[in-house]
Amino acid sequence: MSLQTPRILPAHLHAFHPSSSGPRSTHTVRLLGTVSALHGDTATITCGGNGDVTLILKPDSHLQMGKLVEVIGKVADLEGGQGLGIRVLGTTDWGNPADCDYKIYEQVVEATHRFKSVFYDAE
Amino acid sequence: MDNYNNYGSGGGGGGGFMPGETNSPSGGKSGDRDNKTLRPVTIKQVNDASQPYPEANYQIDNADVANVLIIGQVRNISSQSTNITYKIDDGTGEVEVKKWVDSATADNMDMDGGKPPGDGKSEVKTDGYARVFGAIKSFGHKRYIGAHSVRPVTDINELHCHVLEATAVHLFFTRGPPGGAGAGANGAAGDAVMGGADDYGAGQNRALASMSPLAKKIYNLLKTEPQDDTGLHMQQIASKLNLPATDVARAGEELLGAGVIFSTMDEQTWAILEY
Repeated sequence: MSLQTPRILPAHLHAFHPSSSGPRSTHTVRLLGTVSALHGDTATITCGGNGDVTLILKPDSHLQMGKLVEVIGKVADLEGGQGLGIRVLGTTDWGNPADCDYKIYEQVVEATHRFKSVFYDAE
Repeated sequence: MDNYNNYGSGGGGGGGFMPGETNSPSGGKSGDRDNKTLRPVTIKQVNDASQPYPEANYQIDNADVANVLIIGQVRNISSQSTNITYKIDDGTGEVEVKKWVDSATADNMDMDGGKPPGDGKSEVKTDGYARVFGAIKSFGHKRYIGAHSVRPVTDINELHCHVLEATAVHLFFTRGPPGGAGAGANGAAGDAVMGGADDYGAGQNRALASMSPLAKKIYNLLKTEPQDDTGLHMQQIASKLNLPATDVARAGEELLGAGVIFSTMDEQTWAILEY
């Protein structure tokens, strides 16, 4: 099986955490959001009206403030018990957030999980 | 002048299409020629596509697929002399895409110093998104997509739209057309062939709707009464419905005229015309 990376919203992070119950084989996910803060080795993206997610960056990650990015990464615990974040594996710059209707992305997440057989193997 | 006329009529006679060839009912199973659909799919669906027997068309959700459309991220590009191979990943799986190099374009490229006339926009880059239009092929046990076109995607809404379209088409094939009042929802009407038959059924019902009550009665009798394939004789129908033969004959004419029944042994023996 090749690697599958489900598209999710911040609310679904816990379901992909390594410690979560259930024999889920994948902890690698895709998230879409606008870069809202940069702090050296971490960054924050805002996922429409669905909250923020902290990213743990790679040394060669190049994020720009205010850009829409698609992040592929593993769900991880943040330092100091600040909840869940994403350890970045790769990012794709999609440019201006105004060019994307986030509502459509929410529907995409909904559709990909409701009709799972089209997108992901059963776990 | 004569020559021109002869030429004209000769040309007219020789041209045209062969009637009958195109009149076969579109059963949907008669091969690639009837299936020119372009179906949006995910890479998982491509990798899961089944072949009923070797060399057969690939099937997704029990429907033949001729051409597919995928959108994914380019993970690798390898250029060979005859083709460019892309590795595409859309989050549901990975697949190789081969685009054969058009020799005419390749020649031009040589003359331009090996570079395509790049306008920057039409370039597919590693880790960028690409839209691929092609057919599912296999070489040995390895599945790949023989691409007709590979182009970059720059609008994320196009990606999201594709995902939703792929879902909608999947639901069409597994549950039937939308708004079907659950008619096709029970699984049996799972493919295009059944869909087609349903349409015919609807057509017959529409033809019946405008008919006299007696014609409808006869139609229902022919439909439900046990019979061999020669159908029922007018006299049998008349006695079963307790009606004068002349009325039955008139209603029968009506049904015959609409083409929902046909005469078998003789003019007075009818059976339902089923497609």
